[in-house]
Amino acid sequence: MTALLVVALPLLGAAVALVGGHRRRLVAPAAACVSCGAAWVCSLLVAAAHLGDAAPAVVGPYVIGTGGIPLQASLYVDQLSASMLLLATTVAVLVQIYSVAYLRGDPRYPSYAALVSIFTASMALVVVADDLFVLLVGWEAMGACSYFLISHHWELEEARAGAVKAFVMTRLGDVGLLFGIFVAGDAAGSYRITDVVQAASSGGIGRTQATAATLLLLCGIVGKSAQFPLHSWLPDAMPGPTPISALIHAATMVAAGVYLLARLLPLFMLSATTMTVLAVIAAVTMLGGALMALAADDLKRVLAWSTVSQLAYMFAALSIGGYSAGVLHLLSHGAFKALLFLAAGSVIHAVGSQRLDSMGGLRSSMPVTFATMTVGFAALAGLPPFVGFFSKDAVLGVAGEAAFHGDAQARAWLVLVVGLVVEVLTAAYATRAWLMMFFGRRRSDVARAEPHESPWFMSGPLLVLAILSTLGGVAVVRPGFLGVAPEPFHAATALVSLLAVAVGVAFSASEWWRLDGHDPSRRLGPLRPALAAELGYDRALMSAVLSPVRVAMRTVVASESDVVEPYARGVGTGASWANRFLRWLHNGDLQRYVTAIVFGAVAVAVVVGIVQ
Amino acid sequence: MPILYPLVVSSLLFATGTYVVMARRHAVLVLMGVELMLNAVNLNLVTFDAYWHDSLDSGQVLALFTIAIAAAEIGLGLAIVLLVFRSRSSINVDELRELADRDEAPTA
Repeated sequence: MTALLVVALPLLGAAVALVGGHRRRLVAPAAACVSCGAAWVCSLLVAAAHLGDAAPAVVGPYVIGTGGIPLQASLYVDQLSASMLLLATTVAVLVQIYSVAYLRGDPRYPSYAALVSIFTASMALVVVADDLFVLLVGWEAMGACSYFLISHHWELEEARAGAVKAFVMTRLGDVGLLFGIFVAGDAAGSYRITDVVQAASSGGIGRTQATAATLLLLCGIVGKSAQFPLHSWLPDAMPGPTPISALIHAATMVAAGVYLLARLLPLFMLSATTMTVLAVIAAVTMLGGALMALAADDLKRVLAWSTVSQLAYMFAALSIGGYSAGVLHLLSHGAFKALLFLAAGSVIHAVGSQRLDSMGGLRSSMPVTFATMTVGFAALAGLPPFVGFFSKDAVLGVAGEAAFHGDAQARAWLVLVVGLVVEVLTAAYATRAWLMMFFGRRRSDVARAEPHESPWFMSGPLLVLAILSTLGGVAVVRPGFLGVAPEPFHAATALVSLLAVAVGVAFSASEWWRLDGHDPSRRLGPLRPALAAELGYDRALMSAVLSPVRVAMRTVVASESDVVEPYARGVGTGASWANRFLRWLHNGDLQRYVTAIVFGAVAVAVVVGIVQ
Repeated sequence: MPILYPLVVSSLLFATGTYVVMARRHAVLVLMGVELMLNAVNLNLVTFDAYWHDSLDSGQVLALFTIAIAAAEIGLGLAIVLLVFRSRSSINVDELRELADRDEAPTA
């Protein structure tokens, strides 16, 4: 029942913030922070009860008859749900505290705080739902909240465009998700996730059905988690407030896709086709995302592309069956990516620009942000002893294990090789962004007055997340809390990946020295503008998808106005002319009526005579 | 007597009546035209009654009926003519056009 509270409390807080937020200035921040904090306490209780070997808790089911397979509204909390709840509520409460300072004086703060709370509640609903349709409710509510939050600054053209793009692209995937739910529920005879997983692991679902269901579900997962080919909404969602980016990228929204895949992994494991598709998608996405992140000029876009790339890491791990590796990376990425985004927000707050080349030399003026963001970048690059090192090692370890001993070796090799290449790139872009932000000369021509450290409401959450990103490794080395067999430390892959990280760092650092404090990505040469333009993916999408649709639209409009409309119009015109004629006849002259009657009668008589 | 004679007479009567109704403007004359047409019909009824030797003499009965109705109708018609003349001091049927479909109120 505590899990239900995690869903209900933020909703309550949202209602209070919405109703009272505009009357008193303190109501909205208090309601938002207190409700999310209470939800966090509840999820701590849940985690204390359910991490480790504890048996999962079930609430319900409340069966709703449909005439077909019934809906069974129920909650299910196991190790995965509990850890996801903890992650989501931790990030949410920190984001709420941070937003109090970040959005100080914003007239839309009450609705913003309420939407963040609803967002958190939706994510909590997704991770505790035990019915695919209950999950879908939370899933869609999150999509709607992300739309509203990305378009928070709706007076900006790009914010509106980004929000619409995010909504449309995730909805596109959700169509697949909905049909995937139908197919999976039909195959398993129940929409309960536990029943579906049970049926999948006991052989109750055929291979063909599993392939159909998982490929459809994968559409929704790819859309929600911004994987190729539905990845481009995530970087375009950056005009939203920075704390929202932290929330979307770390703990909710994009994490929901990975969560669903991890939750239904036994079903996905039935279909080698889906897993291969997933591995290829993950490989393409992680490589592409890392390259884009290396070339992007905008700090938030760097982080966004890095999220795309890191999410692909999780999918890569899951595609070779590395359940705990994928989930661990999800959790550790949640911690350090939230840290990076909140720290980026702090920098943007101080500098007044998101462009990397307008920053520089911020090391001395923003010491807390510098220290915490360094931890974040180190975790992102995978440096020991930060949390990212351990979770990436888990991923690559599983890949290495499968590549040498497993039965899906092609997939595992793909993941292993691309994963190592991406390690190099990740280290390179993390170092590049770090150097460009905090070292070198201050670009005073673009920046506002003297950059200053952010208030404690903003740097406090940074410190908490930095501690989590540093000490999280301790929890990650002992992944028994997920209730699965602990993964041993993989010495061989760890060594190779450390080497890869060193290569990446060395590349950026040496270019930085060689170019005397200029963007190291200049070394990419002619590739750089192409990458910065994101390889024209959006334009290609536009010409491949939108142009045919536009042509079809124009055809429909033309056929409507030139073919269908004249008939409709003709009826009107005909009636109008008939009306004019009849009015002319009906002029009130009785004798004319008589004349008409007489001649009409004669005409009828003549016609009848002729016909007979 | 051949049936043609009364039929021709009745046709002429009817045509005359029709012409009067269609062409004359004076309301009383129009009523007289109507009367002519009715009587042409009466002549036809009686003619065919005699021609077919109808045992019930329904043609004659109907002719009597029509005469009664014509009398009532002419009384009513003359009353209307009288009222029209009183209200607008003219009984020109051309000018009685209030039943026309008009957008605005008649000016005349």
